[in-house]
Amino acid sequence: MAERAATCAGCGCGCDDIDVAVAAGALERASGTCVLGDAWLAERTGDAPPVARVDGREVDFADAVEASAAILGDARLPLVCGLGQTDCESQRAAVALAEAVGGVIDPTGPEVDGAAGAASQAIGVSTASFGELRDRAELVVTWLADPVTSNPRLLPRLRLDRAGRAAERTLVVIDARRTATADEADEFIELPPQLELQALWAMRALVRDVPLDRDLAARLPLDALERLAGRLRTCNYAALIYDAGLTTAYVNALGLLALVRDLARVAHVVALPLRHEGNARGAEDVLAWQTGYPAAVSFARGHPRARPGEFTAAELLARGETDAALIVGFDALRLLPPRAADHLRRIPTIVIDPRDTETGAGARVAFATAAAGVHRDGTAHRMDGVPVALRAPLPSDRVGDGDVLAAIEARVTRGEEP
Amino acid sequence: MLRIAQGRVYDPANGIDGEVRDVCLDGGRVVEELPSHAPRIDARGMVVMPGGVDIHSHIAGPAVNAARKLSPEEHRADVLDRTATTRSGTGGTVPSSFTTGYRYALLGYTTVVEAATPPLAARHTLAELRDTPIVDAAFLVLMGNNLSLFELIRDGGPVTEAVAWLLDAAGGYGVKLVNPGGVEMWKHGNRNVTSLDDQVEGLGVTPRRVLEAVATSVDELGLPHPVHVHCNNLGVAGNWRTTLDTLDALEGRRAHLAHVQFHAYGGTPGKRPRSSAPELVEHLAAHPEHSADVGQVMFGPATTMTVDAPVSALLREVTGGKWVNADLEAETGCGIVPFTYRERNYVHALQWAIGLELFLLSRDPWRVVLSTDHPNGGSFLSYPRLIRLLMDREFRNEQIGRVNKKAIRRTVLGDDLEREYTLGEIAIITRAGPARLLGLADKGHLGVGADADVTIYSEHEDREQMFATPRFVIKGGRVIVEEGELREAPAGDLLRVAVDHDEAIERTLAPLFEEHYSVQLANYPVREPWLLEPARRVPAGGGR
Repeated sequence: MAERAATCAGCGCGCDDIDVAVAAGALERASGTCVLGDAWLAERTGDAPPVARVDGREVDFADAVEASAAILGDARLPLVCGLGQTDCESQRAAVALAEAVGGVIDPTGPEVDGAAGAASQAIGVSTASFGELRDRAELVVTWLADPVTSNPRLLPRLRLDRAGRAAERTLVVIDARRTATADEADEFIELPPQLELQALWAMRALVRDVPLDRDLAARLPLDALERLAGRLRTCNYAALIYDAGLTTAYVNALGLLALVRDLARVAHVVALPLRHEGNARGAEDVLAWQTGYPAAVSFARGHPRARPGEFTAAELLARGETDAALIVGFDALRLLPPRAADHLRRIPTIVIDPRDTETGAGARVAFATAAAGVHRDGTAHRMDGVPVALRAPLPSDRVGDGDVLAAIEARVTRGEEP
Repeated sequence: MLRIAQGRVYDPANGIDGEVRDVCLDGGRVVEELPSHAPRIDARGMVVMPGGVDIHSHIAGPAVNAARKLSPEEHRADVLDRTATTRSGTGGTVPSSFTTGYRYALLGYTTVVEAATPPLAARHTLAELRDTPIVDAAFLVLMGNNLSLFELIRDGGPVTEAVAWLLDAAGGYGVKLVNPGGVEMWKHGNRNVTSLDDQVEGLGVTPRRVLEAVATSVDELGLPHPVHVHCNNLGVAGNWRTTLDTLDALEGRRAHLAHVQFHAYGGTPGKRPRSSAPELVEHLAAHPEHSADVGQVMFGPATTMTVDAPVSALLREVTGGKWVNADLEAETGCGIVPFTYRERNYVHALQWAIGLELFLLSRDPWRVVLSTDHPNGGSFLSYPRLIRLLMDREFRNEQIGRVNKKAIRRTVLGDDLEREYTLGEIAIITRAGPARLLGLADKGHLGVGADADVTIYSEHEDREQMFATPRFVIKGGRVIVEEGELREAPAGDLLRVAVDHDEAIERTLAPLFEEHYSVQLANYPVREPWLLEPARRVPAGGGR
């Protein structure tokens, strides 16, 4: 049995201190992982479907590439989506393919950073990497976010869990209910989610010493917010953790980033968006460097145009505007909103995924690949933007997501046989 | 094989100044002679120069990418379609990666140095460079606010070994210091340092100690490029004294100052700046071990993008617009503010004028070279206009007449400086000089054995037009650009330094790493071949 180093891409934490015990080429056990990491590994080391299938039948890889190229070539507006669970190298290949077929590409996962990303494009953002939060932040506020559930190792890695937290550091949780994260906190402030914007605006007023109409703010936990604003203003380094996947209202995301900006004028304050998928951040980064835009990009006119909403995968599908879809590493049928999933069932789909998923089973063409971070080396960007190396602790004779994408692209653009 | 026949050749590194002659290319190199049947470009009446070399630009990595995300408006207004040879993209002051490569090549530039990469983010920079075609690219590794280095400097530890290790771990080319100590203090409650002898709180070092230690290490290692310094107090009135202090502290050691225009302000802090360019030019003239790129400001849109995060916070207050701050553990910070330089604005006009003063007063073009600190002072696309400002006195005076008069009075530009750069001098400040300062022996010249990177311009009285659209651009012996059109877009090489280090340094760094980083030491060095190759290793001279 051999111990091999691994990086977990089971959520946006990108924990690179995992050890995997391997015996006879198979996973024996993993140490250092959390419950999400264990599930991530298990999904990628279970029984895999055939390498390539067309209409559920096992076919040669080349035939599946051919069928994929035909689907994309015939489509009026093909969609490329998923992407948050593959490596940056494969994401690069996905953008190239989307461009080659004149399609739309949009990173799409169970939780998407639509509103928070768009808000940060509007006003900017102050942020920091994990090490800064761990070593400098005296006061950390989780804002309608529950990292203990969504990113289980985050608080321990930032030494913010109850057991690891130094006495002089404070964790405040603001949420609709007592979450698992609240159990780790020094203070819990209950805030009904429908009051989020009001609370953010009240906080901004408190931070900026703008008079507040206390009657209008009567439903807010104003005393607690006022205390919090006072602490944020006087600390040396504070951080707000929010959940990019749950921040669905643009105006709320804007309010949160505006609050951080206001605070940054009087103290050193940063915000960290939680990401649920292992490389959701990388998907946006790759798309941004290749096209200038982080999400919702259409190549239909031969150059990139971005329009969140109009070109957002779930909305495009729900409106029935796309007539073929290529989905990378995302169980879309199970996780997209019902109307979007319904349309997906009606159009030809190509699925590239190391796992056995409902979406893969229902696809016109399905490729079962070697998994990034399990069977394939690569790069992922953590939720804080730090690039980490994905390792390949287990062997595989299969190709990776990027190889499939590149083969389809070569077939589409140059007629090359795979 | 390619013969560039009978062009007017400007190859200052080899003492050729406008001589009509042939340049022969074979196997990616300049060669002595070719058989007479070799394919040829008839370059009669044209100007032939080595491919351009940009010594200081921001083209790849997390800060550049954050700036891209921040400016969708700019991208919408400037799009590139996919063609049979090129990927699509968007432009603006921070173009997408493919567009960056194409546009540099279309401008006749074949080598670009990305000037600020945190080693922790090297994988990101490297991946972007892989998607930045045509140009050979190197990057500088940020070390001016590195907590592990601070501890080694404070305790008299093996700084030189650590510098070598960091360069190798990142795949970098040279060493960059940005506001040493100041970015660390920014993370201590938004503070900064204001002089070389300020304490970096709790760390037992001063900017002076960091400068001296790292510059010494760079010299000891014999790196091809000297330590590349973005001084403390960028943008502050009166900062020329800090700049001079920095140069004095580095006397006798090689050093390159980045975008010195932003560090050449007289006056008193908090008050209106004036020019102190002449004082800095004096120093540079007297110190052959020191050099600078100008960091010219050009009127119009820019994106300020800097490791010097406290400066960005000040600019945020000036514009009231978009602002990004990003703290990176143990290494650095980052600030981004989209910005527009206006002719009528006193400070902007002064900055523009100081840049021109630096160019026009400088006596040694080999050591004061062209940059706009792209995209901070303006896009690299504005280089042709800048060249015209330097070459065409009448045009320059006309432009001086348009800008804020009070600002001009604080400079010597109002004295109607006569100097006009010659084509030979332009060839120095845009290719031969930067290549020499970078220690790239195969770049920036057309001697036998040099890289076959050549730019051919049609003569034109309007120098802006001439330099904006080269007639041919040849990279590695292949004709990439013809008549302003890209013919092909091959990948460029990564240029990285080859420098040895004692393996034992990892044992010294291990506990520091454990303390300061959220990644494992074993995963920090970039070893992935697809990120590092194809590369060319430029050996350190090895003073050791």
